[in-house]
Amino acid sequence: MQNELLVVVIVFLPIFGAFFLPLIGSANEKMRNIFALLMVVTAFLASLMLLPEVMRGTVISVSFPFIPALGLFHADLLAVFMAIVSSMVGSIIILYSFEYISHYENRNEYYFMVVLFLGAMMGLVFSRNLLFLYLFWEITAIVCWRLIGFFREKKYVLMADKAFIVTVFGALMMLIGFLMIYEQAGSFDLGTIKENMKGTPISNVAVFFILFGIFSKSATLPLHTWLPDAGVAPSPVTALLHAAVLVKIGVYVFARLFVATLVLDDIWHTLVPFIAAVSALITAGAAFIETDIKRIIAYSTISQLGFILLGLSVNTELGIAGGLLYILMHGIAKGGLFLCAGIVEQKTKVKDITQLGGLITTMPITAISFLFCAFSVMGIPPFGGFFSKYMVVAGAVQGGHPIIALVFLIGAIMTILYLFRLFNLVFLGELRLDRSEGSSVMTVSVFLLAILSLAGGIFVSYPAEVARTAVVQALELVK
Amino acid sequence: MMEYLLILPIFIPLIAGLLAVVEINHKNYIREAISLLAVAANLIVTYALFDKKYAFSIPWAGFGMDISLRIYHFSAFILLASAAVAALIALYSIMFMNGREKNNYFYLYFMLTLSFTNGAVLAENLILMLFFWEGLLAVLLGFIAIGGKGSFKTALKAFVIIGVSDLCLMFGIALTYSLCGTLNMSEVTLPMTFMGGVAFISLMLGAISKAGSMPFHSWIPDAANDAPLPFMALIPAALEKFLGIYFLSRICLDMYKIEHGSPLSITVMTIGAITILAAVMMALIQKDYKKLLSYHAISQVGYMVLGIGTAVPVGIVGGIFHMLNHVLYKSCLFLTGGSVERQAGTTDLSKLGGLGKKMPVTFGCFLVAALSISGVPPFNGFFSKELVYDGALESGTVFYIAAVCGSFLTAASFLKLGHAAFLGKEQPVFSKLKEAPLLMLIPMLTLAGLCILFGVYNPLPLHTLIQPILGARLEGHDFAGLPTNLFLVIATVAVLALAVINHIWGYRRTGSAIKAVDHIHYAPLLHGLYDRAERKFFDPYDVGLKLVNILALSAWRIDRAIDYFYTKIVVGFTQAASGSIKACHTGSHATYIVWTVVGLSCMIYYVAFR
Repeated sequence: MQNELLVVVIVFLPIFGAFFLPLIGSANEKMRNIFALLMVVTAFLASLMLLPEVMRGTVISVSFPFIPALGLFHADLLAVFMAIVSSMVGSIIILYSFEYISHYENRNEYYFMVVLFLGAMMGLVFSRNLLFLYLFWEITAIVCWRLIGFFREKKYVLMADKAFIVTVFGALMMLIGFLMIYEQAGSFDLGTIKENMKGTPISNVAVFFILFGIFSKSATLPLHTWLPDAGVAPSPVTALLHAAVLVKIGVYVFARLFVATLVLDDIWHTLVPFIAAVSALITAGAAFIETDIKRIIAYSTISQLGFILLGLSVNTELGIAGGLLYILMHGIAKGGLFLCAGIVEQKTKVKDITQLGGLITTMPITAISFLFCAFSVMGIPPFGGFFSKYMVVAGAVQGGHPIIALVFLIGAIMTILYLFRLFNLVFLGELRLDRSEGSSVMTVSVFLLAILSLAGGIFVSYPAEVARTAVVQALELVK
Repeated sequence: MMEYLLILPIFIPLIAGLLAVVEINHKNYIREAISLLAVAANLIVTYALFDKKYAFSIPWAGFGMDISLRIYHFSAFILLASAAVAALIALYSIMFMNGREKNNYFYLYFMLTLSFTNGAVLAENLILMLFFWEGLLAVLLGFIAIGGKGSFKTALKAFVIIGVSDLCLMFGIALTYSLCGTLNMSEVTLPMTFMGGVAFISLMLGAISKAGSMPFHSWIPDAANDAPLPFMALIPAALEKFLGIYFLSRICLDMYKIEHGSPLSITVMTIGAITILAAVMMALIQKDYKKLLSYHAISQVGYMVLGIGTAVPVGIVGGIFHMLNHVLYKSCLFLTGGSVERQAGTTDLSKLGGLGKKMPVTFGCFLVAALSISGVPPFNGFFSKELVYDGALESGTVFYIAAVCGSFLTAASFLKLGHAAFLGKEQPVFSKLKEAPLLMLIPMLTLAGLCILFGVYNPLPLHTLIQPILGARLEGHDFAGLPTNLFLVIATVAVLALAVINHIWGYRRTGSAIKAVDHIHYAPLLHGLYDRAERKFFDPYDVGLKLVNILALSAWRIDRAIDYFYTKIVVGFTQAASGSIKACHTGSHATYIVWTVVGLSCMIYYVAFR
């Protein structure tokens, strides 16, 4: 009972709590900030408390009150893992926002949206029913739309519209796919679907439609171009939505549906890695050419999402575990990169990297944190990204795709090149704009993420164990 | 419990490095004391572990990834040798680095390098090895970058080049795991299939590029200019050679049964032979002390790769022996370069001259090391080169000729270097020049002494260190003592004599030691090649960057085209569609009635006749 309560708290505390934040905010801004942080931290701690239980293989189910047959939430290790990652990075990003967003208008709306988003994310992660999943999915889309257009300039709102239209288009396609699953499996309930479908592959047409949703949300070629444009949002929003959490929704649903619930036709185990490879390579190239600091990191995100998708889709335990680990490591490191970019952008008011330079002398902590996070994204040991990158590549090789693995290694080389190009132009060379270090709250947040990137590599055995167990549990139930 | 002692060589330098970087007091030499203590402790520990056979394994990240360390005679040998070299260079660095900026980072990177190298050598699990191996990358970046202004560019070049090769290695390890189902080096046996060969090549590329072989070499000469000198003596000259050749031997001996005369063996030997020749050709025309040495650091790897690539016992023993010898004389040479740099303030050969009288000890050490690297009997380089020649001759005359030509050019370039720097007319600016301080001389003298010892009494290294590695593959041979093949010895001596004649002739012709090899530099065909090489035409890094730029630009165009589809075509189509529908809504009732009738008849048609 206690565990069920925890799940409900994780989801509904942020969702309903978010509505009170503007109220608190109109009375006392500081209180509002602290409450916002507390809600997300509570969700994080509650997810952590679920961990020992689900590591043993228990699945915690929550049904609708009074209608026990209608499953609402279920918490297995996969869901808890995802919830921990999202709420952990989310907490740090909210901490960072304390200072960052205090320079701008509409702060009440900001906290409302961000906390609501995290709540919806938690709901999506724990959803037991495809329709609820769709519901939370669309809540995140609406919040995302508002947050991209947060600064309310006409151009920005257009970018927000673009993101909204592309992702909602994908979501509607996905809904068709869900209906087809209903046709075939006779239920929207994930548990029932699993029971009814045992072993039979799901229809390829349904997979095709659902992939539209996944690719649009997780910004994969050719549905990705909204993501770099969404960089007009405030930096913590970009970090939260477009690097660490929101874009992981797509890959999470991929894992939830096509790894943990349904069996895919074999062709997808070749086709999806292929699409991921093309996506990773093309956007890595674009990251090498762009000159806007946030667009570069956004392209890098798309490219890295290709790695995650590769890991999840190659149908080997090693690859899937690598993909999950990648979600964690990439969330931390890429969140850190965006937050560093936010400090640079706020201090210099410049986004064009060709006009920046030499900031390492005036912003040493930001520069070092950026470098640490970049190392993790590149996959350099002892940083965490090393393990996830290896596991994904090795999983692909094991799954019989050595050529695709090689393409991804070219992508990895490009990653090194574009991140260093960025680092070089922003932090090294001649000092162009003499600006001081960001405020202590902001630097502490980025430094925390940098340290977490390093710790993720040194103490990799813990997250790796969780990812491995999650995969074993998920596959066990399907086959 | 004793097996957990194996973590000491990893953690002692690691902790010392972290202590050294936080110690900010410049005056008390605490930082130097910490690092000296650490290298001394490391040396003692590795010596104590030398004849031990310990192994342990604790689970790590699953999927075959364990923290497993193992020491046996091969890894113990590499461990001890790198500990010794590191100790000598740390001693040397105290005076050399004294008073320089970013001194604390120097010791941090020094210690981290040592720690990671020890880790990579001790690792039994391939992923653990890659963890340390690739971890050196970030350290390398920092180590070169503290060299001063502009050095970050070189650091980045090194990072990218080594990064690419490390990704090759990662791919090889991934393949190995999928082929063998294990990552423990002593259990891995790659199948003799196509995929097995691909795995071998990927692993091999990672190994030889760590050793500095072509085509992953071009950062080394740049680093010679930019990085602090002890870096050169420590990393490209010593530790990376140990690591790379150690792993190459492990692949060729344990993991994949490479056969004499097989295509893979020929591939490896070809890489070796090309590396020998191309790098030494570049070394010949250098006009800077350190840069000339750095090209030799590349060229000499060729001998090791060639020797191991032959896959015959004599070649393998020669290759590994050459690795050891190379570390001794090349570190020594770099250190002499350092004392010249510190005392004379420059390493530009055109500004040096006649230093031999002012710095006799440095000159003496240089002489010993130069004779060793040129393969003059009875110094150590002679014996290992003879073994490599023997193996090469067995595998194909072409390889032998390449190796011997390499020797000729090596000798020629060292005659040029020694003559230009230490002999000849004394430059007036150097009239008050003094010999380097004692703390710098001790390491040089030790290394030079070892060069002589390992030559004159070569059973010592061969019997205790190298031949046990091959074990049964040795087939009862013993390669200690004098070379058995008299023809090879005569040929070597003849080639060396030719090099001397060539130098004297060149010197007489031009009247200058630096220009003594100009007749080769400006020879009809070579002239053009040299010209292009100096403009970095053949630098794989620059060529690669150009390719990446083209690739990236076309990728970006594709991306923009996709975006154009959304922002222009989709929007345009939607606007056109809604525009035409809007145009239909004219407000005229007559039109609407027509629409209604048409629609209604369609429905009736559908219901009635479908």
